[in-house]
Amino acid sequence: MQVTDQDLQYFVTTLKNVSKYDFSEYSDKSLKRRLQKILEDSNFDLTTLITTLRVDKNFVERIVKEITVNTTELFRDPPVWHLLRSRILPRFKNNKTINIWHAGCSTGQEVYSMMILLNEMEMLDKAKLFATDLNVDVLDAAKQGIYKYRFNLSYLDNFDKVIKQNPLNFEEYIDVPYEKYFDIDKVKDTITMKKFLTEKPIFRKHDLVTDGNIFFAKFDLILCRNVIIYFNYSLQNKVFELFHSNLYPKGLLLLGMHETILGPWANKFERLGQSYVKK
Amino acid sequence: MALLSNIKLGQRVQMVVIPTILVLFVLAGIVMSVMTKNRALEQARYQADVYIDRTIQIIEMVKSKTGSGFYMDDKVLLKPYFQTPAYYATDFPCIISGNGEYLLHILRDGHRLPLTAFTQLKSHPSKDGFLFYTDYVNNSTEERMLCFKYYEPYSAYVAISISPDEVLSSLLSNRRVLLLIIVFCSVSAALLIFFLIKPIVRNVNFVNIKLKQLSNGEIPNHLKIGTRDEIGTMVQSLNKLIDGLKQTTEFAREIGENRLEFDFKPLSTKDQLGNALLEMRNNLKRANEEETRRKAEDDIRSWTNAGLAKFGDILRQNNNNLSLLADDVIQNLVNYMQANQGGLFMYSEVDHDQYLELLAAFAYNRKKFIEKTIALGEGLVGTCALEKKTIYLKEIPDNYITITSGLGEATPTSLLIVPLKLEDNIFGVLEIASFREFLPYEVEFVEKIGESIASTLYSVKNSIRTRELLEQSQQQREEMAAQEEEMRQNMEEMQATQEEMSRKNVELEVVTNAINQALLSATLTEEGYIVDSNNNFQTLLGYARTDLDALPFVELVHPDQRSEFNDFWEQVLMGQSVNDTLHLQGNNDTSLYIMASISPGLDDMGSIIKIFLVGQDISENKHLELQTQQQAQEIERTIVELQREQALSAQRQSDMEVLLKALDKNCLVTVLDPDGLITYINNKNVEVLGDTKESIEGKYLQDIDFSAKNKPKEFEVFWSNLSKGKMQSREFSLTVNGRETWVKENFTPVMDDSGRLIRIINIGFDITENKMKEAEMEGIINKLKDLKDKK
Repeated sequence: MQVTDQDLQYFVTTLKNVSKYDFSEYSDKSLKRRLQKILEDSNFDLTTLITTLRVDKNFVERIVKEITVNTTELFRDPPVWHLLRSRILPRFKNNKTINIWHAGCSTGQEVYSMMILLNEMEMLDKAKLFATDLNVDVLDAAKQGIYKYRFNLSYLDNFDKVIKQNPLNFEEYIDVPYEKYFDIDKVKDTITMKKFLTEKPIFRKHDLVTDGNIFFAKFDLILCRNVIIYFNYSLQNKVFELFHSNLYPKGLLLLGMHETILGPWANKFERLGQSYVKK
Repeated sequence: MALLSNIKLGQRVQMVVIPTILVLFVLAGIVMSVMTKNRALEQARYQADVYIDRTIQIIEMVKSKTGSGFYMDDKVLLKPYFQTPAYYATDFPCIISGNGEYLLHILRDGHRLPLTAFTQLKSHPSKDGFLFYTDYVNNSTEERMLCFKYYEPYSAYVAISISPDEVLSSLLSNRRVLLLIIVFCSVSAALLIFFLIKPIVRNVNFVNIKLKQLSNGEIPNHLKIGTRDEIGTMVQSLNKLIDGLKQTTEFAREIGENRLEFDFKPLSTKDQLGNALLEMRNNLKRANEEETRRKAEDDIRSWTNAGLAKFGDILRQNNNNLSLLADDVIQNLVNYMQANQGGLFMYSEVDHDQYLELLAAFAYNRKKFIEKTIALGEGLVGTCALEKKTIYLKEIPDNYITITSGLGEATPTSLLIVPLKLEDNIFGVLEIASFREFLPYEVEFVEKIGESIASTLYSVKNSIRTRELLEQSQQQREEMAAQEEEMRQNMEEMQATQEEMSRKNVELEVVTNAINQALLSATLTEEGYIVDSNNNFQTLLGYARTDLDALPFVELVHPDQRSEFNDFWEQVLMGQSVNDTLHLQGNNDTSLYIMASISPGLDDMGSIIKIFLVGQDISENKHLELQTQQQAQEIERTIVELQREQALSAQRQSDMEVLLKALDKNCLVTVLDPDGLITYINNKNVEVLGDTKESIEGKYLQDIDFSAKNKPKEFEVFWSNLSKGKMQSREFSLTVNGRETWVKENFTPVMDDSGRLIRIINIGFDITENKMKEAEMEGIINKLKDLKDKK
């Protein structure tokens, strides 16, 4: 059964009525596929799904968790981390504090990557990290800081590329042992983040659509990577507004590799490589 | 007789034998006296007959004298002869007539024979004989015997009557003597018997007592009787029997006390009991030996069985942990075997590499340091595994193995290496060393245990492997599921990204189109060569695309300006954007003035990839430069922006917003929904057209557009074309703040993938200056015409 526009509309409306979740401004196509996937996996038809949604709060949470996409990895897209290392983070070198918001942190790899990089740049002490996601489960995973090892061998490559190598000078090699930041247990097939990393960030549940800024702070750097691709144009602009208003002047917004600010908020930012600097 | 048999032998002799003897003697006496009496009577009769015959002879003689018949003369003549008794006192001869009258009797002449006697006489068959009769005499009766003979001449009987008593009276004295003899004889016989019997009875009683004791199972002492008669022999035999019994009893007791080595000789070859006992002893001996042997066998068997059970238990436990199991096994085995050292090797095969691995060791010296692996066939253990045969050595090679204790080091005396095999498959090797020698059954036991261990190793290995595989597959399943989910999410992300990009691409294309229509642009290398250019650029300069390829841009710059340009170029290479009016030389010496913005395209790390040039043809306006300076500067500024953004967008398709921004500055941008709703107008629009942002946004174009109001038909065509996706341009003028302003608008419809109109972007340019110049030119031309006409 193919999910039609009406089905989607029905689903989104129901969800909005029974919970605080509002997916109405999510990207239709993506949301449609997610709904399709849920229906296929759960063997429900739409009516059953909707009915269950109406009566079962836990089911709502479950469905929301299933809808959200939680793709992330350690030092994902190394060029971005090169940019952070060489051009973005040095801007805050003289700050007393650095507030960083990972909006849509998923299972937290990005937060740990950031902390590792900051630590290598000796800036971790003054950094305050805030990490949010819509999905509580992934937040829990993020707090644990335990990841599969074999499936995620690319983490180590990324780590090597970002931490051990200098893209501007390949002859330079900084030997940073993995054990400095995480333990690898090949038997248990785990990568476990060190405690000093797991206890530093503040993890909170947060919905970009409805919740605004839940921290009583403005930010020097907001990372919201591969999130707005699931939003439509209008919601994207709302999110840009939210970020813009909660950035310090000259604060930076970092979007995903293929995400850009188009439309009215483009004027309010200046490009710095992949990132946007608040004007 | 039955009664008698109950009586003791002595008494029986006294009570029976003696009276019997007496009775017999008496009987003999009586018989003898009767027989004597009869003989005496017969004798008497015989004598009487003889006497009668003599008498008859006398009668004969008398008769010869007297003649025949008995007469008086005869009686006289014969009388003298009949006057004396014959032999006894009263046996007088007589003549009796035929009618029983005494013819002549000394005493009874004229008397008659008693009647009884006479009838007897008459009826007597012969003329002579005898008969007994009772004679009545003097009123007394007397038994008498009458012997007679008939005498013809007289016709009378010549007879003698004898009194038996008289005959017998002579016998009476004989009878007394006989009685005396009988008494004497019987008394002496009784005494004799008594004295003969008594010692016999006594001895028999002794024997009897002993026999009684014997019969009671006692063993009496010897009986001391020295006689050599049958009783003596009997006693001897009895004594012998007692001795024999004593010995046999002793023997039996010894046997009873299980002392089977007692020296015992049977009483004779026919000694049933003795022989039976001997046989019993021998049987017992054999049984004992058998028992001892069986016990030894039982011990072995029970030792083996207990061991098997024990190891069965051990092997059943811990069967999920090989090394624990092996430790347990080897420790218990060494203890059970009372050996001193042991090691358990497990056979492993990894990639055709076969080796034995020390799984557990007991009392191996330096246990911690030996991570022994032994190749198949290497050393004794390896050989054992290869040949699958037990190796038992009593002489151990030097330095092969030592047993270390607190007291020092010693080489064990025996070494047992047993393969752990199951159906000819090897699973490992057991090695046990000891200071004592192993017995065959112990070796056999270890071999048996070896099989069990092999079987357990096999199953444990199997189950561990199975569990590992299970866990692995479980884990893999979970991982697969997680990975699949992650892949799906990745997929979703990629798809969403793709969609987002394609959406932006569409917009970017629109923008690029708008740019290509309105502006001229080119892409240069760091060295200044042209790699790409748009149509406007080519048309205005009069070159074909191929002409421009790899042409250094500087050659297009008017020679007068080249040094200035090179300065700009340096700045650009430094990473700055430069805006200036460039005087270009096109094909056929076309002269062209452009308001140009040259920007470097930088990558993330800030190094130059490409250099972008965007410009607007201002040749026509060149002479009005002063008037248009303000606007030009603005365009210039926006072009700089545009250029930079375009550069980035070309690099990554996503830098369009820079261009939009540039457009925003330079052009009048209006964004419309398909139904004409104005969703966005930019500041330039506001600036040029004079309205406020608020009064335009949110309104429908058809409601506020001048031409829609005044030329509805024209607008309708215009709008329907737009709706079909055709780009529409129009020019119009309006008066803002008392100044006439000309605007050229390009409406570009934005379609989605399915060809549906989603948005209309209107990019307008302020062409007032051009129009004014045009008008001016027209005015001049008209004046010239006029002049011409006037001419």
